[in-house]
Amino acid sequence: MKRLFKILGNWFKSVAKAFAHEFTLVFRDGGVLLFFFFLPLVYPIVYTLIYNPELCRDISVVVVDDCRTVQTRELVRMADATEAINIIGYAANMDEAKRAMHEKEAFGLLYIPRDYSERIGRGEQGVVAFYSDMTLLLRYRSFVSALTDLQLTSGSQIRTETLDAMGASSIGGTSMPVDQQAYFLGDPTQGFASFIMPGIVILILQQSLVLGITMLAGGAAERRRRFGGTDPWSIDVPQGAGMLGRMMCYLVIYIPLTIYILHYVMVMFALPHIGSPLDYLLFVVPLLVASVFFGMTLQVFVTERESSMLIVVFTSVVFLFLSGLTWPRYAMSWLWKGVGNLIPATWGIEGFIQINSNGGTLTDNPHPYIMLWIVAVCYFFVAYLALRYAQKYERRKYAPNPDQPYDA
Amino acid sequence: MKKAFRPLWNVMRREVQRMCNRQIYFWTMIVVPVIGSLYFMSLLNEGLPLRAPSAIVDCDHSSMSRQLYRSLDAMELVDLQYKLESFHDALEMVNSGKIMGFFYIPQNFQRDAVGGRTPTLTYYTNMTYFVPGTLSYKAFKTMAVTTSGGIVQTKLVSLGATNGMAGTILQPMIVQDHELGNPWMNYSIYLSNSFTAGLIELMVMLVTAFSIGQEIKRGTSVDWLQTADGSMFTAIMGKLIPQFVIFAADALFVMMLLYKWFAFPLNGSTWALIGGMMLMIVACQWLAVWVTSTIVNLRLSVASMSLMGILAFSIAAFSFPVESMYGACAIFSYILPVRYYFLIYSDIALNGLPIYYSRVYFAALLAFPLIGSTMLWHLKKACLKPVYVP
Repeated sequence: MKRLFKILGNWFKSVAKAFAHEFTLVFRDGGVLLFFFFLPLVYPIVYTLIYNPELCRDISVVVVDDCRTVQTRELVRMADATEAINIIGYAANMDEAKRAMHEKEAFGLLYIPRDYSERIGRGEQGVVAFYSDMTLLLRYRSFVSALTDLQLTSGSQIRTETLDAMGASSIGGTSMPVDQQAYFLGDPTQGFASFIMPGIVILILQQSLVLGITMLAGGAAERRRRFGGTDPWSIDVPQGAGMLGRMMCYLVIYIPLTIYILHYVMVMFALPHIGSPLDYLLFVVPLLVASVFFGMTLQVFVTERESSMLIVVFTSVVFLFLSGLTWPRYAMSWLWKGVGNLIPATWGIEGFIQINSNGGTLTDNPHPYIMLWIVAVCYFFVAYLALRYAQKYERRKYAPNPDQPYDA
Repeated sequence: MKKAFRPLWNVMRREVQRMCNRQIYFWTMIVVPVIGSLYFMSLLNEGLPLRAPSAIVDCDHSSMSRQLYRSLDAMELVDLQYKLESFHDALEMVNSGKIMGFFYIPQNFQRDAVGGRTPTLTYYTNMTYFVPGTLSYKAFKTMAVTTSGGIVQTKLVSLGATNGMAGTILQPMIVQDHELGNPWMNYSIYLSNSFTAGLIELMVMLVTAFSIGQEIKRGTSVDWLQTADGSMFTAIMGKLIPQFVIFAADALFVMMLLYKWFAFPLNGSTWALIGGMMLMIVACQWLAVWVTSTIVNLRLSVASMSLMGILAFSIAAFSFPVESMYGACAIFSYILPVRYYFLIYSDIALNGLPIYYSRVYFAALLAFPLIGSTMLWHLKKACLKPVYVP
């Protein structure tokens, strides 16, 4: 029993030693500090500033009105009054309007045919055409909702007049027999920043951790190369204890940053933020743990400080898509769903959005939370084995020829 | 003449050797762009994510509400996976991520609708996921409008109007929308074109900055300059040309994937688009050269290229338009080569315009090499006395 306590005590001592030692390594390295502090502090602000206008308002639209009646002028005024559309002017004909679109003076074209008013006067259906530039779906999306509103309001005006003339105003002029009301959950303004930022901040947490960890590992690998296989800055602790100690060091560094990112950034920009702090802070713990061990797994591929960026940076885009934020996960093939399951940020984004934007609780949907812990444990073992293997491989490499040149 | 190109040839040979000696070039120059583009194409293969998981809350249980349920279930945009009894259940399902939205039919819906007491149909969509949220909103809205219209139509017909007349009275005017270049509203056409280009830009900038910085880090920059006969320009060209060849091959593969195999719209001149892509690669290389010669530090220059390359996906306005951004942010969009390529792509491939309309963008891409070479003197100074700062 005493022996067991002693072993345990030594093991805890090793964890503590690794924990303290990692701090010196982190704070001695400007590059890592940049990733651990500058990146989580500044990136969320930069990103939100880009998307902060939230909506596409007043997109330029050019009109070709071949009818030119009171009714069409009213229609154009109504279009101009919608949130999305800003009428930049009348073009004499389609060629002139097309030219305006080609020169990017306008992104939409409203065409009113010659017989528009005539048809409405005859009790037929009036048809106008709208041509939308499709370079950006967000613009098109704004147009569509504006045009639907335009069609509904202007339609109900005409209908009221017709029904009044028929003497049947009771059956639905301005007021239809059934009302409708839409509610948008999680992002009530349908703003772009409110939609994408809660996901991006989680990705920033994961990626900055991975970048920092791989850069530290790259530095260690360089030192090993320089000194023939041993890193003079390393300490001798059991590998598992070392990994845990390092993990705790990163966690301590990330606690203030996480609170800043998950709370203050959201408050600063008035992004959706209705979750309970206890829930999302508890939730983010396994995310950080999983990201740390994920980084330790990736670190075996990094042999040089700077190559960490070449290997890690592009994955941000890949991971963002895997998370299902832009393309829903239910529409993914089994392959990409499976790969997404392995990435901590996938679960992190899903869970954080549910808590932060939808106001859910951890108990509402514990699935992402549990998955994050499973992923964290898995990556611990994967990283353990990978580091073991890499160590053996390096030992073999350096053993016969300790004067290995600096070049790898 | 032949002699004049000898140093350039030598640097190029030296560069090819250097690239073959390190695995990282293989991974970043060939594997990432190729696998990355295949990834985007495969992920977004379906074009539009149909059948968003949704629910219906039917508190009425009338023939009309059942009819509504069946019509909604028949729509391709939503998949009514649950039939729930209360608002509370439905909201809980949204919060747990099981459904993207739900449609709520109130109590006594049929009675009130027929009796002219104007009941309200409500629908809730989860906008934290933009695309499925928007699509299910669209389905719900269509359903609510047609339900309402159906009742009016029945009444009008009972008053003696013909079906056609009733339809016109119901919808006296319609706006037909035409989606230029992408009438299928295919999400992949909209995203894959820009994101593969963004990925190529990122990798070109990273590799260029990394390979120049390596010379200084490893102290081989003196040898590099010597091989180039002391000319910094020759040295840089010798480095950039072999890399350009590889990235150009990547880009051609990606374009073949997009426009040939997946038959994405390429309505304008193919050569102009290829030209734009090649110019973008060159522009990215020179942007990276400029940054590296200014900063010289390997880590910082690679880090700045990462910063620019990753922010490019947002600030080059692949999804959120530049004209809606704050001016102070939007201006940075124009220091990125991929922004110009994106505009060229949208003009030439999507909208099929003549090159004339993209003239400014081509010119802007051509300006990058000119600006890029202005700091070469600084790089030369650093190359002659290489100091590695970690």
